Amino acid sequence: MSIVHRILFLVLALLLAGTPEVAAEPRVANIYWAPEAATTGAKKVDTLLNFIFYLTAAVFVLTQSVYIYYLVKYRRRPGRKAYYSHGNNKLEIIWTAIPTAIFLGLVIYSNRLWSELHSTPPDDAVKVDVVSYQFGWDFRYAGADGQLGKMDVHGYSVDNKFGLVEGDAAGQDDFSATELVIPVGRATHIYLHSRDVIHSFYVPEFRLYQAAVPGRTIAWVWFEPTRTGNFELACSQICGSGHYNMKAPIRVVSAEEFAKWQEGKIKAKAEEAATAAATETVEKNLTAAVRP
Amino acid sequence: MSTSATTFVPDAIPVNESHHGHHEPNFFHKYIWSLDHKMIGLQYMWTSFFFLLIGGLLAMGIRFQLAYPGMAVPLIGALLPSTVAIDGVILPGGYNMLFTMHATVMVFLVVMPLLIGGFGNYLIPLKIGAGDMAFPTLNAMSYWLYVVSGLIILASFFVDGGAAQSGWTAYAPLSSTAAYNNNTQIGQSLWCVGLFVNGLSSIAGATNYITTIVNMRAPGMTMFRLPLSVWSLFLTSWLLILAVPVLSAAAAMLFTDLNFGTTFFAAQGGQPLLWQHLFWFFGHPEVYIMILPAMGLVSEILPVFARKPIFGYKAMVWAMVAIGFLGFIVWGHHMFVSGMNLTLGAAFSVSTMIIAVPSAIKTFNWMGTVWRGSIVFTTPMLFALAFVSMFVIGGLSGIFMASTPVDLFVHNSYFIVAHIHYVLFGGSLFGAFAAIYFWYPKMFGRMMNETLGKIHFFATFIFFNLTFFPMHNLGLGGMMRRIADPTVYEHLRALQPINIFVSWASFGMGLATIIFLWNFIYSLRHGKKAGNNPWNATTLEWTVPSPPGHGNFETTPTVYNGPYEYSVPGMEKDYLPQNEKAPEGARLEVH
Repeated sequence: MSIVHRILFLVLALLLAGTPEVAAEPRVANIYWAPEAATTGAKKVDTLLNFIFYLTAAVFVLTQSVYIYYLVKYRRRPGRKAYYSHGNNKLEIIWTAIPTAIFLGLVIYSNRLWSELHSTPPDDAVKVDVVSYQFGWDFRYAGADGQLGKMDVHGYSVDNKFGLVEGDAAGQDDFSATELVIPVGRATHIYLHSRDVIHSFYVPEFRLYQAAVPGRTIAWVWFEPTRTGNFELACSQICGSGHYNMKAPIRVVSAEEFAKWQEGKIKAKAEEAATAAATETVEKNLTAAVRP
Repeated sequence: MSTSATTFVPDAIPVNESHHGHHEPNFFHKYIWSLDHKMIGLQYMWTSFFFLLIGGLLAMGIRFQLAYPGMAVPLIGALLPSTVAIDGVILPGGYNMLFTMHATVMVFLVVMPLLIGGFGNYLIPLKIGAGDMAFPTLNAMSYWLYVVSGLIILASFFVDGGAAQSGWTAYAPLSSTAAYNNNTQIGQSLWCVGLFVNGLSSIAGATNYITTIVNMRAPGMTMFRLPLSVWSLFLTSWLLILAVPVLSAAAAMLFTDLNFGTTFFAAQGGQPLLWQHLFWFFGHPEVYIMILPAMGLVSEILPVFARKPIFGYKAMVWAMVAIGFLGFIVWGHHMFVSGMNLTLGAAFSVSTMIIAVPSAIKTFNWMGTVWRGSIVFTTPMLFALAFVSMFVIGGLSGIFMASTPVDLFVHNSYFIVAHIHYVLFGGSLFGAFAAIYFWYPKMFGRMMNETLGKIHFFATFIFFNLTFFPMHNLGLGGMMRRIADPTVYEHLRALQPINIFVSWASFGMGLATIIFLWNFIYSLRHGKKAGNNPWNATTLEWTVPSPPGHGNFETTPTVYNGPYEYSVPGMEKDYLPQNEKAPEGARLEVH
């Protein structure tokens, strides 16, 4: 027995060795459940998630209580003989029909919400081209014209990080950012791209995961933030050695703040374009002047 | 049915004198190139134990890194190859290698060979009353192909660039373009070759099982008198034959993409999602390939220790048939959020919810089996009972992912890591442990130590739940799977105490496995002598000596009863072996 005790002691000691550290960490609210939802869609997902949770928890508690009750009640005792039975067809039908009904109900609920979450985004949605790459994110917003320029999923290059189609006027004034800034209370419609391998757009507070596939545009993702705050966009699809750190900040701001930010970006882009044009003119003039 | 079972017996293998067991084979023919299904089964088992240790150590590495990212691995850190760790500190790419190879090893080199290769080989001929498998040489070849595939996969750690690091699902174009993937061209190529060879082994084995079960049943052993373990292995074999060739083809295509410039899975000239469709067309049946045999083995053990017939034998068979069939039309549920057409996702969601029904049926029937039984809590019974509960948790958590909108949230999070481990560890491996404790006396003629067995059970059960249950919380908390360092994210730093807790619990589980291995080896010489039928069980393997001799049966047994006649009213003893006629007065239920 002593070896048994020693092993038991060792196992317990190891478990306990881990616990003090757990206790030493500052307690953070809500670490055992999902973070607070931050979009309209996320709240609907939560309703379904909670529904499934209560349903499965009830099924678990019910079946396991019955199971454990049987195990205790029908344990071997002197003189007891097991009941001889090969089954019961009526019971088989009942416990086939009930789960089938529940699962069909669940699939109807799920698929309706699934369509709703992927319905046509509202007209006033902020459109953002989200480009993933090893190992980071680029964002492109429409310029003053409110139109995102056309792009080609195979047109990416070092100089053309958004794969913009040359000569498309709508793309001239598009501006880029390295953080996703979006307004609260208004929809954001993202166009999801990848320049190399499969990545994914994952924001737990938005209850949203969508893979970005190279060579494709994923155009069905939109969400409407319900509160301002700072979030982190994470890649949640293994994409290489830098995968664990492939993130970008998301700032959900008020409508005014978003307008101000957008205006600043548009202005900066215009100035940049003007400078570029001026430089070009100067260069042209210089070339002309030097020419004999 | 009973006559048709005996109509065809291949000439080469007369039932009772297959490859002539009268002279003692030499060492090479007994242990290395053995053609005896029992030795091949044991070879599978021992080899899978070896890989279980490797896969377990890889898991410990994963858990160490997640608890203490950036810290040097104690004790063995210095021994790790430079592609995995430098000065004992695990590199991000090395971490990717750890979880890629952990899953690859556990799925292809542990669970499948242990359950299907090990128990399939050992039990099928004994349970159907045959002298050996239909194709003994193919059987030996199947085992050795498995060994070769394991060596290829292990060798990949030591090649230039190290082992594959794109996840066991190897999503292209990450896996198909070495430049994207830390230049692991050789490692990823070896992964493809390893799985290809492993696939050959599986296909050969499955062909053998199907042929054996269809043709070599003893007289009277009708299909509906087959023990459920044989049914499960029969159906699993069909799944293998239909699913594995798809993986082999996909692996070959990935190999040519990597090495010969083809673009099957490239973004330009190919299609990245094609890989996922091919992989999961194999990958989802694969889940059932790993759980069906465990279900079968557990269905065998519960009646013995409840001293009751299995509840709803035919319902159990049809549920497995339904799982096998539906298993081929649910693969898209791995791809709801992959960029696949949304309507297609909705359709796969329907089939996925439907496939939960036969699993529910099985669970209720297992509960029906213990109902009004006379339950003895031996170690194999404890593992079998725990299997049912853990499978319930794994099944219920699957409903979250089956619901498309919830999958939007929990996809690729730790929630799914919890789910797969409840199914594959709480399910398949608990089933395997139950089976090992149960059939050990038959295999080695001695009992395993019951006290050590119970300690192993309780330690594994507790540490398993402490390890994997909190992963549900981590997933809901927003922790992605396959990230080398969760602390780089603001929203995950608060969850780090859970990660540390989980890691220590997993180390406890690792130690519990050492108790098991010790018990296994110790009992080989020092275990209590078992006798032919230590559990008073009914199926044919318990009618022959432990371990059974070459050729299994002195004379071909004749089968009179179903496999689960326990506590038959009007009988002196509380079990009726399949090959014994029911005594006068026994009131057998016709079902």
